[in-house]
Amino acid sequence: MLTDSNTMASPVLPPPRSETGVVGRMRANLFNSRFNSAMTVLAVIVIALALWFGLGWILVDADWTVISTLGGRMIIGQYNIEAACPGQNCFWRPQAGLLLVTLVLGMAWQVAGGGVTKRIALAVAGVAAAFAFLPYAFSQMGLDVRLLLLANLPALAVGWSLARYTKLGTASWTAILSVTAFVLTLVLLRGIPGVPFLQPVSVIFWGGIMLNLMLAVAGIGLSFPIGIALALGRRSELQVLKLLCIVFIETFRGVPLITLLFMSQVLVPLAFPEDFPQNSLMRAAIVITLFSSAYMAENIRGGLQSLHPGQAEAARALGLPGWQTMLFISLPQAIRNVIPPIVGQFISLFKDTSLVYIIGMLDVVEISRAFIQGNPEFLANAKELFIFLALVFWVFTYGMSYVSRRVEQHLGVGER
Amino acid sequence: MPTLLRYLSYQGVPIWRNVYAIQWVSQIASGILVVVLVAWFFVNIGNAIQERDIPYGFGFLSREYQTPIGQHFLDYKSSDTFLYAFVVAATNTIVISIIGVALATALGIFVGVCRMSSNWIIAKAALVYIEFFRNVPLLVQLFFWFYIVLALPPVREGYVISQRFYINNAGISVPWPAVNDAGMAVTWLLTAAVAVVLGWAVHSRLTRRERNTGTPSNSQAWGIATAASIGAVAWLALSVAGDGSPFVISQPEPQGTFGRISGGFTAPGGMIALLIGLVTYTASFIAEIVRAGVQSVGRGQTEAARAVGLSALSTLRNVTFPQALRVIVPPMISQYLNLTKNSSLAGAIGYSDLTNVAKTMTQTAPAVSIFIMIMAAYLAMSLTFSLIGNLYNRHIRFNAS
Amino acid sequence: MVANEETIRTDEIIICRDVHKWYGNFHVLRGISTTIKRGEVVVVFGPSGSGKSTFIRTINRLEEHQRGEIIVDGIELTNDTRNIDAIRRDVGIVFQSFNLFPHLKVMSNITLAPIKVRKLPAKQAETLAMELLERVGIPEQAEKYPAELSGGQQQRVAIARALAMQPKIMLFDEPTSALDPEMIKEVLDVMREMATSGMTMIVITHEMGFAREVADRMMMFDEGIIMEEGTPDQIFGNPQHERTKLFLSQII
Repeated sequence: MLTDSNTMASPVLPPPRSETGVVGRMRANLFNSRFNSAMTVLAVIVIALALWFGLGWILVDADWTVISTLGGRMIIGQYNIEAACPGQNCFWRPQAGLLLVTLVLGMAWQVAGGGVTKRIALAVAGVAAAFAFLPYAFSQMGLDVRLLLLANLPALAVGWSLARYTKLGTASWTAILSVTAFVLTLVLLRGIPGVPFLQPVSVIFWGGIMLNLMLAVAGIGLSFPIGIALALGRRSELQVLKLLCIVFIETFRGVPLITLLFMSQVLVPLAFPEDFPQNSLMRAAIVITLFSSAYMAENIRGGLQSLHPGQAEAARALGLPGWQTMLFISLPQAIRNVIPPIVGQFISLFKDTSLVYIIGMLDVVEISRAFIQGNPEFLANAKELFIFLALVFWVFTYGMSYVSRRVEQHLGVGER
Repeated sequence: MPTLLRYLSYQGVPIWRNVYAIQWVSQIASGILVVVLVAWFFVNIGNAIQERDIPYGFGFLSREYQTPIGQHFLDYKSSDTFLYAFVVAATNTIVISIIGVALATALGIFVGVCRMSSNWIIAKAALVYIEFFRNVPLLVQLFFWFYIVLALPPVREGYVISQRFYINNAGISVPWPAVNDAGMAVTWLLTAAVAVVLGWAVHSRLTRRERNTGTPSNSQAWGIATAASIGAVAWLALSVAGDGSPFVISQPEPQGTFGRISGGFTAPGGMIALLIGLVTYTASFIAEIVRAGVQSVGRGQTEAARAVGLSALSTLRNVTFPQALRVIVPPMISQYLNLTKNSSLAGAIGYSDLTNVAKTMTQTAPAVSIFIMIMAAYLAMSLTFSLIGNLYNRHIRFNAS
Repeated sequence: MVANEETIRTDEIIICRDVHKWYGNFHVLRGISTTIKRGEVVVVFGPSGSGKSTFIRTINRLEEHQRGEIIVDGIELTNDTRNIDAIRRDVGIVFQSFNLFPHLKVMSNITLAPIKVRKLPAKQAETLAMELLERVGIPEQAEKYPAELSGGQQQRVAIARALAMQPKIMLFDEPTSALDPEMIKEVLDVMREMATSGMTMIVITHEMGFAREVADRMMMFDEGIIMEEGTPDQIFGNPQHERTKLFLSQII
């Protein structure tokens, strides 16, 4: 009797209609107070107006032909003009570089086993292949160009099979081959005097997004070890070394990159003997690398400071020598802890490659601006061009943030 | 122990196995390497300057610059010296930085608060803003705004708002105070400073009294009233004693056949584009900093404050904000420094900031000396910001206990 | 390498002679002299700040003593990296806060040192690691990350990690102080098994039940000196010094 009613469970009822579903969420979120309701209505009106005018402009008024007129120059700058590559068609060389990149991405996909790497590899190869179908006439974009673009898909497959079916399927091999691919691309673009099909092309003709990407990759790759060295030097007990590192870091962080770039044009040639071969690209790469490594050093120093000293103690107690402790225990953990600032620094570096205009290099931004300036009939369409540029950069940088978030998840940052 | 080994030993242990020796040797070796690299770099430059007969020295500073500077906040003529031109360019950078910092902070806080709003639409809109402006290079944004400004109609067909504000492709012209009587103006400014100090003193006295005795006082109202009344009385007195009021408002007026605007203050198109670009870009970073700061204050704090009866606004002012400020201020200061450094992109859109003018100077003056001067200028700015940051850190450390 | 060959007896595995250490002006170890025999289990206890932790950390050079001699298994502890490395290979330590490497799986935590320091081939190291995990009772956790394990399991992994170097001496710095009561037992069980199988152990702990069962000798540290030492019966039954009596009365 009494026990019966006590042991009988009370029925489980569904929640009232107004609490669930779209209506419920809207009530809880958007309209839960008078202020909030007013703001929601206002925001909806503003967004609707913006979308109306914005889309209207994009679809009807905007003239996007400026982009197709500029065309391939946005990608490779002036690499293929007559002055750069007399008598030949040099466009295949950057394309070959892209094929190498896709190949390495295919390897990385297989080694990583899917997930983010797979998506990036497929995206890169897919977009490259899609470019083969751009609605240009064959006279503007020849069959050879299109075939080389389509070749990215089999290149991806080759890379993937290489990793899967040969002994090259490890992370270390992929890393080595990435560096090799980068160096090979550099050699391809620069050319080798005397070799047929590989006549030298001066770096002043290199440009477009290819230039931004190459500078970014070199900068990121080199600033990492230099930044680590600077961070360790900054923590040293030897006052002189510590002071030198601090001065370096503070100087490169205190002066704008653009000032450093244009100073390097004058100073770097002075530091080397007069007949030493050098060019603007080298100088830009050196300055960007040093600039970025100063920021990287501070990030890594913060990471090292956040470590629990017990880790290093346990490693030393096990008999690991100091450098192995740093290499296998302290540095991996320090870097794991500061992945967001490090990736932020990489993104900044990529955006900063647009500053090389000051030393006369035609990266994708400068070539667009020079185009508008040289062709005043397109002045009214400058907005379209720069919005397109903004989108291109946004895709790359958002991609980098996305990869960083996935890497953090994979490494279990914040959980372990 | 054989004698040779004894010389190579420290504390009885051969130095290549001694723990201390290893540490010191590796660091000394690195130190020497760095010193050698740096010395090689500078010595080579010095030698090259001598050998290749490259001009150097600072004598050029007293020469006439002979080149116009587009916009300037200080009076400048082409016959002014290099040194003065350098100073004018530096003020250009400093003024833009100060205005930019103020506007970016305001916009950044607004966007940051929106990002944390419980209203889904507003939060998402703020997110879109932040993700877009953070990820596009500043240079692209500057060009975009510049071309928008260029697309404004020319002076004669420009927009006019209530006969006072003119918007056209030469810039925006607004009414601006102009000095009528220099001596009185300076006197009034000094008096105004004194008035503000007195008003602050009144405010703190009243606040202290309120805290001790509990009697309510509108300390802020009284403080402002004191400052305002002193300022107004001084204005009247000086106007009567002198030649009319110390400052008058100068209105922009179209003059002459081309309708050029004179009077008032004209912010040139390049400067407007630069400001909009810098402010929107930096505000997106500041918004994230504000969000991180407010979120770092644990939710338990807000809950406890509301539980004892503090209103939402009071909680924000007295509990959340002071704690969030600790986490917000250091990265905020580094963003201010970034804005100052980013102003160096101004040359791309025609604004005469320090880098742009210095670059032009290198065509007629020794480049190396100019480099030294701009490095010194920028390092001075960045050290100032670091100093402010350190002072703040020390201030909160002593108050934290 | 060795100071005085005649006075070393082969069963004395740790010899400390008049060891002093200062932290700045603070004299933390004030003349510690003791010998520990092979296979002996010594429990060290005493109030906090008395130097117990510092003492056992000087034995594997995590702290450096400024005066006196420490000789471990015939090797004198000096600034010579060869000596230090040799000693660290033979001395394992388990910390209060476990100090596992969070970015490596349990298996890698254990095999890292044998592979890098003793140059063991990977397969052999893994077999050894699995044996040790069985010995401490958690073979199924081999592929997990330390953060996924409970405190007691983590400490057992730490013990396995130290044992993987096949040390002759094991040091324990308050191994159970950071654990919940339910997990203390599982760690003490492992330590008990190690003691009965003949490992030389120095344990800092306040688990007096464990000490009474397993210790051959107990040492009380106070203000940098060994205030009293003796067998557990002597210490618990007949403490000589006032400080010892006071301390024991507070923790039992």
